[in-house]
Amino acid sequence: MTTTEHKSEGPVAADDEIVLDVQDLNVTFSSEDGPLQAVRGVSYQVRRGEALGIVGESGSGKSVTSMAIMGLLPRTAKVSGSARVLDQEVIGLNDAQISKVRGRRIAMIFQDPLTSLNPVYTIGYQIVEAILTHRKTTKQKARERAIELLDKVGIPNPERRVDQYPHELSGGMRQRVVIAIAMANDPDIIIADEPTTALDVTVQAQVLEALEAARKETGAALVLITHDLGVVAGHVDRVAVMYAGRLVETGTVEDVFYRPRMPYALGLLGSLPRMDEERGARLTPIKGTPPSLLNLPQGCPFAPRCPMVQDVCLSEAPVLTAPEDAEERHEDPLARHLAACHFSDQLAGARPQDLFQATELRGSGPEAVAEEEKDAEAGSGAEQEGDSASSEILLSATDLVKHFPIRSKGILRRKVGEVQAVSGIDLELREHETLALVGESGCGKSTTARLLLQLIKQTSGDVRYKGKPLHTLSEAQMRPLRRDLQLVFQDPFASLDPRMTVWDIIAEPMQIHGRGKEAKQRVGELLDLVGLNPEHGSRYPHEFSGGQRQRIGVARALALNPKVLILDEPVSALDVSIQAGVINLLEDLQDELGLSYLFVSHDLSVVKHIADRVAVMYLGKIVETGTTEQLFSAPAHPYTQALISAIPLPDPVKERTRERIVVTGDVPNPANPPSGCRFRTRCPKFAGELSETERLKCVEEPPVLLDRGTGHQDACHYSKAVELI
Amino acid sequence: MLVYTARRFAVAIPVLLAASVLVFLMVDLSGDPLSDLRMQQPPPSPETIAAAEARYYLDRSIPERYWLWMTGIGGNGDIGLLQGKFGPSVRGGPFDIGEQLASGISITIRLVSAAIVMALGLAIVSGVISAMRQYSKLDYTLTFIGFLALAMPTFWLGALIREGGLWFNKTTDTSFFYTIGANSARVSNMTGWEYFLDSAGHLVLPTVTLMLTSYAAWSRYQRTSMLEVLNSDYVRLARAKGVRNSVVVRRHALRTALIPLVTVATIGIVGILEGVVIIETIFQWRGLGYFFIEAVKAKDTFALMAWLMLSGTLVVLANLIADVLYGVLDPRIRYE
Repeated sequence: MTTTEHKSEGPVAADDEIVLDVQDLNVTFSSEDGPLQAVRGVSYQVRRGEALGIVGESGSGKSVTSMAIMGLLPRTAKVSGSARVLDQEVIGLNDAQISKVRGRRIAMIFQDPLTSLNPVYTIGYQIVEAILTHRKTTKQKARERAIELLDKVGIPNPERRVDQYPHELSGGMRQRVVIAIAMANDPDIIIADEPTTALDVTVQAQVLEALEAARKETGAALVLITHDLGVVAGHVDRVAVMYAGRLVETGTVEDVFYRPRMPYALGLLGSLPRMDEERGARLTPIKGTPPSLLNLPQGCPFAPRCPMVQDVCLSEAPVLTAPEDAEERHEDPLARHLAACHFSDQLAGARPQDLFQATELRGSGPEAVAEEEKDAEAGSGAEQEGDSASSEILLSATDLVKHFPIRSKGILRRKVGEVQAVSGIDLELREHETLALVGESGCGKSTTARLLLQLIKQTSGDVRYKGKPLHTLSEAQMRPLRRDLQLVFQDPFASLDPRMTVWDIIAEPMQIHGRGKEAKQRVGELLDLVGLNPEHGSRYPHEFSGGQRQRIGVARALALNPKVLILDEPVSALDVSIQAGVINLLEDLQDELGLSYLFVSHDLSVVKHIADRVAVMYLGKIVETGTTEQLFSAPAHPYTQALISAIPLPDPVKERTRERIVVTGDVPNPANPPSGCRFRTRCPKFAGELSETERLKCVEEPPVLLDRGTGHQDACHYSKAVELI
Repeated sequence: MLVYTARRFAVAIPVLLAASVLVFLMVDLSGDPLSDLRMQQPPPSPETIAAAEARYYLDRSIPERYWLWMTGIGGNGDIGLLQGKFGPSVRGGPFDIGEQLASGISITIRLVSAAIVMALGLAIVSGVISAMRQYSKLDYTLTFIGFLALAMPTFWLGALIREGGLWFNKTTDTSFFYTIGANSARVSNMTGWEYFLDSAGHLVLPTVTLMLTSYAAWSRYQRTSMLEVLNSDYVRLARAKGVRNSVVVRRHALRTALIPLVTVATIGIVGILEGVVIIETIFQWRGLGYFFIEAVKAKDTFALMAWLMLSGTLVVLANLIADVLYGVLDPRIRYE
């Protein structure tokens, strides 16, 4: 038992000791269509206390790699190669052997905190279980340790919480419990697999903080797997970029972010909407989609999407090597900047826009271009009209309120309360503008979107379209107006009927509105307009990737020539490189067709990029609204400031040095919102800056939206603009 | 937990009341218990018929009869569910419905409880094995057995098993399997142990028959829910903690995977009560199934209503047990 001996001399170990050494790891799944090579020849090392970020899009093999190290893959997976944890080989161990390594040497944190904990055991039980699995101690001692751990990850009232079940805790709290479990046996390595992806940004910031605390406490090395370049920029020392099962670039976080030497890494950075950049700069998406892992191209896996592809790329796979003219020579062999590209030498100082085209790649061909021009003309015509009317208000809401009743469980189903989803908001959407509705989950932004479309009826208040009140209309009267108001959904997988062809999906709105005859020609045009091949109309949704499906969703929404598109988180389910393409498409369509967008989103970076005006929502109320410029350059409400602070910037230096305004806790229950200002329970200003008498006003008096000049409004008694970016 | 149980209990009462109304109306409106008497040749005197009608309370209105059946107030002292009296039988004075029902239960309960225990036990074991060895030969074999049992109707399966038992007895020239009745003809001179063995021996074939259909469905459910749980994140996290696989399966997977089975098994109790009627006929038991068939044959309305109310109560009781079990197994429900 060499491992046990090792543990006992733990703290004596040298600082530069390599705790995890992965060499030439391969994982293959057998599938009906042949072997699926999820991971191909991945090698990396991590030192004690160091943080390595593994970045990649979905399907790049970043999670499978770590699952293979943990021995958590299903039997059908064939794993070869080596992974050594403190010099002990862990690949190919049996259950009894690997169980001694798991939890004690390597601990793991998973993506979804809502499903990571067993619902039928208390959280205390689940932490104690982790302790007792590896240590001989009494239950009482283990319980004390569990409480101590809960305290360390920042859970208030740990003595009480320890006996609660997972469903009594919020998502952020549950993820902290998972972190506490990971810390329980002072592991040498913590692998965090997308630990904050399922969480809201303000909670993400808190959980990342807890993760940092866990690292400091245990001295463990961290392997942070994520698709979010911002999270990586702020929290790791070194980065490894994965693509199609391979590492394509590794190096220090500065090298990879500032001096990328692989076109894919460069493309990723270019397709990211950034909060710290001017609006209007176009994103540079990477064309195409990641290759299928079933039939990988012979050469470089990125070659089919690469703008600088040469013949050699298609025949010969590049290996990870240091570019000859690397800017910085690192003493440390692990920190060396490596890239898997035949032409990485040519990429010194390259910017994304040098390599990738900013414009959308359309279904080419002469007709398509002609069509495009026609559309553009029509669009500009509408635009002029819009200008002459000095941007007419299309859709407006006045004092909109929506309460959902909560009913008791008995037969009587008495009303025992109500969820105040939307509590009196005003909105105006003008012609040819993009209004973004921003907030965390549960703030009422999606409910507002549905109210504006009258898909649900409001409790009180007004919704008007071109001055006409909508809520008084019957279903039949509403139907013709629905042509003008269309919706694009968040989940491109659930929003398309899998049993209908794409042609039928796009033609359906026209058939409903008695324009079935036009459909024949129009569907082709629409597919072309959103950048898909018109000949693919006879295919089914499952044959398309997520980004393509979202384009189908947009085409369907455009079928009836609407004036307003309500976009409910249209890009949040997409990978970064794909997301950029859809964002560009939406911007193009707006210019060409003169559309108005109501853009519902939680992602401030995307909002900064696409919106003209922004409204920030918190617990059913709008707390701040203004033009995008005003809001991002001088946010006045503490909540807006906290939101902006919580969005990680994909820039290592800026991210680590920026000023932050941090909020604590979770969003309160909307069935029982705090009195006065609804944000006061989490407000950093309320907690830190205000005097007792000043606070009284926050508790007693709900703040109203007040104009601070030039249309920038906020609802805070003590608002003060701060510059954060 | 206590509040939760009490609340579930309170809900059961109106359900039973509604069941009693339905049972009464359906039986009462479905035929005339005196039709045999009226058809007699030569026709009985109107006085005889009137006397019979009075004896069976047929001279009262429907609401009155229901009231009588429930409470017995204003009757002849032989009726009133709430007083534990089930009403007069058309099969004459010596046939006491309550007594007959009680002796029926004591016989049938053996069959039903043995079948449920065996079916549940086997379903859980084979469901778990199937799930853990998904797509193995063992899984396919268990799946095949399951579907075979599921595809055969009870009366056919029962007859087949009985014939199989008879064939075995004949070819080996023994009486290894008992195929008739719940006990041998003469039990009076048996010792306690002999009686037990005799009862158990008689139980074998009917229990296997009754068990197989429920087992088939339940094991499929158990396999599915177990598979789902085995692939869940929390089972993965438990493994990641370093808990041994066998412990993970027992502690984390099985407990949550049992929750759906509780529902399915409760609903399945109804099917078992149905199956009992058929199986008791095939194996010539004088239990509740026999009681039911005889009551239908004799147009014995009060006996029939008593039987229906009893099985209704059993179903409600099973649901109540399931609800309480839910609360034990799943804290999310307990704290609602």
